[in-house]
Amino acid sequence: MATQLPDIDFTLEYPYTRTTGPIMGPFLTGLRDGRILGSRVGDRVLCPPVEYDPSDGSTVGPENLVEVGPGGTVEGWTWVAEPTSKHPFDRPFAFAQIRLDGADTTMLHAVDAGSIDAMSTGMRVVVRFNDERLGSVTDVHFVPGDEAPEPPTVDADAEPVGIMEHVIGVRIREPLQPHRKRFLEGLLQKKIIGQRSPADGKVHVPSRGYDAINRVAMSAEDDVEVEGKGTVTSFTEITPIQYHGQTETEPYIRCSLLLDGADTTIGGVDIRHIPIEDFKVGMRLEIVWRDTISFDDEDNRGYGLNEGVYERWERTGEPDVDPELVKEHNF
Amino acid sequence: MAFEPQENDIAIIGVAQTAAHARFDGPEVVMIMDCVNTLLGDAGIERPDVGFTIAGSCDYLSGMPFAFVSNVDGMGAWPPVYESHVEMDGAWALFEAWLRLQMGDIDVAMVVGSGKSSPCNAREVFHLQADPYVVAPLGLDPDALAGIQARALIDAGKASEADIAGVVARSRAAAASNPNAQVSGSVSVDSLLAEPYDMAPLRAHDVSPKADGAAAILIARRDRALELSDNPVWITGLDHRIESHHAGLRDLTDSVSTRLAAAGAGVADGPVDVAELHITHAHEEIILRDALGLDDSTAVNPSGGPLCGDPVMATGLTRIIEVARRIQSGEASRGVGHAASGAALQQNLVVVLEEGGA
Repeated sequence: MATQLPDIDFTLEYPYTRTTGPIMGPFLTGLRDGRILGSRVGDRVLCPPVEYDPSDGSTVGPENLVEVGPGGTVEGWTWVAEPTSKHPFDRPFAFAQIRLDGADTTMLHAVDAGSIDAMSTGMRVVVRFNDERLGSVTDVHFVPGDEAPEPPTVDADAEPVGIMEHVIGVRIREPLQPHRKRFLEGLLQKKIIGQRSPADGKVHVPSRGYDAINRVAMSAEDDVEVEGKGTVTSFTEITPIQYHGQTETEPYIRCSLLLDGADTTIGGVDIRHIPIEDFKVGMRLEIVWRDTISFDDEDNRGYGLNEGVYERWERTGEPDVDPELVKEHNF
Repeated sequence: MAFEPQENDIAIIGVAQTAAHARFDGPEVVMIMDCVNTLLGDAGIERPDVGFTIAGSCDYLSGMPFAFVSNVDGMGAWPPVYESHVEMDGAWALFEAWLRLQMGDIDVAMVVGSGKSSPCNAREVFHLQADPYVVAPLGLDPDALAGIQARALIDAGKASEADIAGVVARSRAAAASNPNAQVSGSVSVDSLLAEPYDMAPLRAHDVSPKADGAAAILIARRDRALELSDNPVWITGLDHRIESHHAGLRDLTDSVSTRLAAAGAGVADGPVDVAELHITHAHEEIILRDALGLDDSTAVNPSGGPLCGDPVMATGLTRIIEVARRIQSGEASRGVGHAASGAALQQNLVVVLEEGGA
């Protein structure tokens, strides 16, 4: 039964919230409310504004903020022929170093110029305030020319920007690594595939594709099938804490199992059908496969057995194993 | 006059690297393991003989939080290692190991740089190195700032598009003799200039091809180095400097931090036979040659350099390896390895390597 497992494709995201502080707060508030601020430092005006004098590190306070722009001059630029998913436009545009009128340094920003032919060093650009403004540098963009922007509609009661939100994320796409692919294909056929180290004969389940003790890589030739039956080597009872997104409400057991024929344990095995008061190290358990096996969260990392493959683990009826015999495998 | 090592001097006694793979099928650990086994095998020592191990990598590339922890498997999981990690190119790991050995209580250290960048679009990761308030939210990535830097160089009259294409043509020709390179071969400046712009004035071939790969170095204090190696390569200078993360506060047509690091490392104290430069955009070679004070007597990027294979997070360490190999083989007596980090050469590390006196 040949089953095609898809490539891995997921997006890992982290929502960052940053306090803005005494300079970035007014700067981002300004962008939201329709003005651009720089910092007067000595006889120069720096934009973007700074909390410190770059020449000596001395503090530059909010009393030094001055308004600059809305027009400016392009001092450097590049044309982005194929924007990434992180760029402010999904069509070709320019990133430019823009020296705003009244400033002595350049700010990096995007120019929606339509065509590379509209771009040149020394050209004039002017800010545009986006309709949706959240107190971020992405609240604005620039366009060629000198036509002053429409003053944006400002909510006079809005609080100054004290927090900047930025969701960062990276899309990861890759094939399953060969050892993972064979392991997961095995599970689809209700087989548990491990790898026997060519260095010391120990069987790793699931394998990471190498033996880290002896520093040898393993290949398909090292694959071995192990039993869907084994011995509990350690366990914990998890009492679900009610965090955002938590779906568990009742305590349950997670255990490590040493499968027959294996020398490493599978971790995080989910136990729901055996009462905690009966559960112990040394207990013999057997897998009850699901009728139809599928999973949609396959990855290259797994250290356990994919939860989508088993209905539950049942006691085999065999006598318990002396815990002393599995104490080297408790994790 | 050849370098005369003193007791506290430190030498490279072994180097290893994988090829720059467009995509490596297996785990990153296996690439590290290959390098570690080569190093230990060549030196004839066991892993417990290594007093300190350190790696440079970036978890974002493979989308695995704490990937750097599983990477330690590549050094061998038992007995436990005394280890450190930098979220930087392996060249910065070398800097920490070099400092660590100067404490004098241990005498051998292993340095690894590794990365699997094929699962992601690196441009969608490395904009996060920029200022988090005024640049990163724009997604302004290193390739975009490189485009701005290349134009600044052209606008200042310091280079032409043909000069930039010339760097690519020369690099690819040099890479023909490098078995680890991803791309190589003869290509004319005219044909390169006929290609469309990507981040104008840069073209796709001006940007290094990202790769999966690993590199590793074994270093030792003088007495142990002389025991373990017939031809140790001495680290006679090492320095790294950083410039403002606000591009508007920098002169993008110069690399002030490279000048400072080169002075700190003593680049000008002797002839430079070979230099390997961490250029991920072709125009950077023009800036770095100037900042390092290199003239035509120096062979620059004889391996082809990163423009012919960029195993992200191992690329800088690989530059140092390429120089060390040439000194080990007797092809050069003194050379400069350079590593960069951040957009538009924001941070630069310079190491001077020399053969030892008889």
